Amino acid sequence: MNTRKPVAGEQPAEGPLDVLIIDGEEAFAAACRRTLEHAGFRVATSGTAGQGLALAETRHPGVVLLALELPDMPGAEALGALSRQAPAAVPVVASAHGTVDAAVESMKLGAFDFLAKPVGAEKLVETVRRGLNLSVLRKEAAGPGAAGAQAPDKYDLLLQGLDVLGEAYSLGLEKRQLLDELTWLENEAKYHAESLGQIKKKERVILDIRNDLLESDVIMRRYDFHKNALIQVLLDVQEKFRWLPRHVLNWISGRLNIPVRDIYTIAHFYEAFSLEPRGRHIVQVCTGTACHVRGASELLTRISATLGVKPGETDARQAFTLETVHCIGCCALAPVVQIDSRYHRNPSKSQFEKIIQSLEKEEVDTCPA
Amino acid sequence: MSRIETPADLARLRDQAVARRNSRGTWVAVCAGTGCRAYGAEALAESLEKEVEKRGLGKKIGVRKTGCHGFCERGPLVVVQPSDVCYLGAQPKNVPAIVDKLEGKDAALDKLLYVDAENGKPLARLDEIPFYKHQQRVVLGDNVHIDASDILDYIAVGGYAALAKALSGMTPEEVLQEVKEAKLRGRGGGGFPAGRKWETTRKAPGEPKYVIVNADEGDPGAYMDRSILEGNPHGVLEGLILGAYAIGAGEGFIYVRQEYPLAREHAQKALDQAREYGLLGENILGSGFSFDVKIHRGAGAFVSGESSALMSAIEGHVGEPRPKYIHTSEKGVWGKPSCLNNVETWANVPHIINRGAEWFTGMGTEGSKGTKIFSLVGKVNNTGLVEVPMGITLRDIIFKIGGGVPGGKKFKAVQTGGPSGGVIPESMLDLPVDFDELTRVGSMMGSGGMIVMDENTCMVDTARYYMSFLAHESCGKCVPCREGTRQMLRILDRIVAGEGKEEDLAVLEELGDFMEDASLCALGQSAPFPVLSTLKYFRGEYEEHIREKRCRAGVCTPLIAYDIDQETCGKCGACLRACPVAAVDQSADKVFTILQEKCIKCGACFTACPEKFSAVIKVPAYAIGKPSAGNPPPAGKQV
Repeated sequence: MNTRKPVAGEQPAEGPLDVLIIDGEEAFAAACRRTLEHAGFRVATSGTAGQGLALAETRHPGVVLLALELPDMPGAEALGALSRQAPAAVPVVASAHGTVDAAVESMKLGAFDFLAKPVGAEKLVETVRRGLNLSVLRKEAAGPGAAGAQAPDKYDLLLQGLDVLGEAYSLGLEKRQLLDELTWLENEAKYHAESLGQIKKKERVILDIRNDLLESDVIMRRYDFHKNALIQVLLDVQEKFRWLPRHVLNWISGRLNIPVRDIYTIAHFYEAFSLEPRGRHIVQVCTGTACHVRGASELLTRISATLGVKPGETDARQAFTLETVHCIGCCALAPVVQIDSRYHRNPSKSQFEKIIQSLEKEEVDTCPA
Repeated sequence: MSRIETPADLARLRDQAVARRNSRGTWVAVCAGTGCRAYGAEALAESLEKEVEKRGLGKKIGVRKTGCHGFCERGPLVVVQPSDVCYLGAQPKNVPAIVDKLEGKDAALDKLLYVDAENGKPLARLDEIPFYKHQQRVVLGDNVHIDASDILDYIAVGGYAALAKALSGMTPEEVLQEVKEAKLRGRGGGGFPAGRKWETTRKAPGEPKYVIVNADEGDPGAYMDRSILEGNPHGVLEGLILGAYAIGAGEGFIYVRQEYPLAREHAQKALDQAREYGLLGENILGSGFSFDVKIHRGAGAFVSGESSALMSAIEGHVGEPRPKYIHTSEKGVWGKPSCLNNVETWANVPHIINRGAEWFTGMGTEGSKGTKIFSLVGKVNNTGLVEVPMGITLRDIIFKIGGGVPGGKKFKAVQTGGPSGGVIPESMLDLPVDFDELTRVGSMMGSGGMIVMDENTCMVDTARYYMSFLAHESCGKCVPCREGTRQMLRILDRIVAGEGKEEDLAVLEELGDFMEDASLCALGQSAPFPVLSTLKYFRGEYEEHIREKRCRAGVCTPLIAYDIDQETCGKCGACLRACPVAAVDQSADKVFTILQEKCIKCGACFTACPEKFSAVIKVPAYAIGKPSAGNPPPAGKQV
């Protein structure tokens, strides 16, 4: 821990942080900061989630004290974003509405602890200290390059396991059940990787599925985990993942307490959902009546031949999915094809090839590698 | 901005909004509806803004991105206000000239003006252009004047005045009475009297009550609801709030198709702004009436536009209809009384409250009052959205407003009512358009799709098209619809493939009658209409397909083949370049031929062949390979 006593009120301009406070309530943030600085921690504050998340990414704080009520983003969403952008940081949630529900939900979303405002100085320092201990473990787990560089050994994991087991018992869960469910999730992860034809390390497979589940939690949280919002949740999942992966549907089924059967009924019923991965670009040929009488089926045949896929199929590189759609409301442009969010009026073979090429070029340009 | 607490606050806010608008002498309204966006309207608006800024005219000239103006065929559309000069098909390269003109300089803009087809003279003003001249734009009229993302624009043109009037001076019963007296009928398809529906929900036992906007415009070929919600979301919202007040509902939903992202975005923005100004939420305008609205996205299912199916979807279940022994207006969402009307219906309500039932009933026919918006699409010159008084003839809509059929082709039929409607042949073009007349001739008003068909449209193919749509969209819950649509589709598939049988037509009619009687919801009950009405008016075409294996419109691909007429061929090679599957063969002596075994009949060569040669021709499939066997000679492009 840093022993330098910072001057009160001065934001440490660079270097790693112990604690980052993200809270729009200035007085509370300032008070916490004073208390924590007094205890010897390096602290920075931010009034908004946007700025805070950026700081979290660049300054690697050990603990992030996050308010649930933020001016620019729902706290739950900020929590999800934080776990993605700064996975080593340990989030502690603070809220003026200290209901049990809010606390449980925050914990579900990965918060390390929940503090109800107002927070006593002792409690604050103690929580931050515990959080920092965990964060050291996490940074080590993240492997070389992160702070520390010592991988956690079996004994560190056993300690974490005991934490988990303790919490499971307090929820009334038996160890057997917990193990069963974990095994099941692992199998889902394997199935997912296999069905996509991906060969990955075991740990990567597990972490990927964990992130997917966290993402879907963030989505369900938008609708307060409400059963009735199922279709809206699925639409968001579809938008996020471009399809409805099996493990996500199973997860939603558990979280919202809806039989998987019902979820699949809905997924099959509506046009918007896809139970197979779709390409990065969606080519939708409108087959509405206006388009039909102006030659949509000929356009479709042409595009299908050019792309080399049939309607409903995705090319081998997962770049383009060809679909038909019943009217996108652009009847005056008939026949029309929508490629991602852009509309094109009856493109000829060469015009269509140009569009496809420019999309592929864009992809290469924006690809980080 | 603080909440609007009283009608007087609203009036003050309106004065401010009007003053803000008047601070600039000229406004350039760029249509940013979905159609014009596809033509590049956003880039145009941006470059207009930049040019105005560059010349330091920002204080005099304003640029406004508005909703759909309707004349989609000629987009992007620009209207200069207050002069109402209308530029069609404007591109960023025209911007300097447009701004020159606004500054009062001379600029050559004639090619952006509408040219009168009869005397070749340019028509500058919006109300001179025939497309607009014969319309009566009540609901769509404000689209040109407002930026949908700004509530103040709507307030400036008189928005929320009806709400203030109702909440401060009318009882809910009086609002209901006004709508009843206006004889407003539902614009979504059935034409059920809106006032009666409202009354049923109002009187039905059970709390809370719900009001719902049906923006699940599933009818392929209709997009008026999209354009209203995109262009004037506050108009719909105001109607909904008025309805909620009259009915006694505390909560509302807007059910929007997922395929309409812009409509959803604008509706969401409208809700947020209305809430901010206190026009939604607790104690609206100090009246004690509270009401709020949520948006629900549809996930793409035609049948979900049916009332009970839509409500089931709002509850989070599969959007399937249920038997309606008890109407949804009595037992709808979560078993509570729920009043569902479509976008256009709600958008009419503020106008009725503002101007009174008497004004409204002054338009239209005996049974159908007011105006109706049609999406005039297909083989017609002026494609777009048209709003006309009920009772206007089909001929006026298609020829006066729509400018007739393009390319000198012959008009064949017009299809109204979408997949639940039917076709109307030329002999009935003088039919006055209203709910009852259209039903009488075997079609229906529907939500207002109007698809014009010319001699190159095959009626059997059209019927097959609708049936394949319906067979796909049938939810499968009741047997008559599920099996009926499938069997009809099988028969039609056979006919267009040249494998039809003499007795097929009678079977189609029998199946159709049965489905009409026995299906659970309107989807199945009306599913046979496109087939039955084409059979009624164009039976000859069916018989040609069956007996002669011939498609006179040259549409049914199994019955046609493409060929190159060597006598007119200009050897330009356009067909070769256009073919996606290399089915055009070029032998050494520059003779182009089509390899029939490779051809996928996509028509690319047919489209690519220059007009002056018109050498790529459609011929009956049976004629290929045996040219002089007594078959009808191959016809040119006019096939």
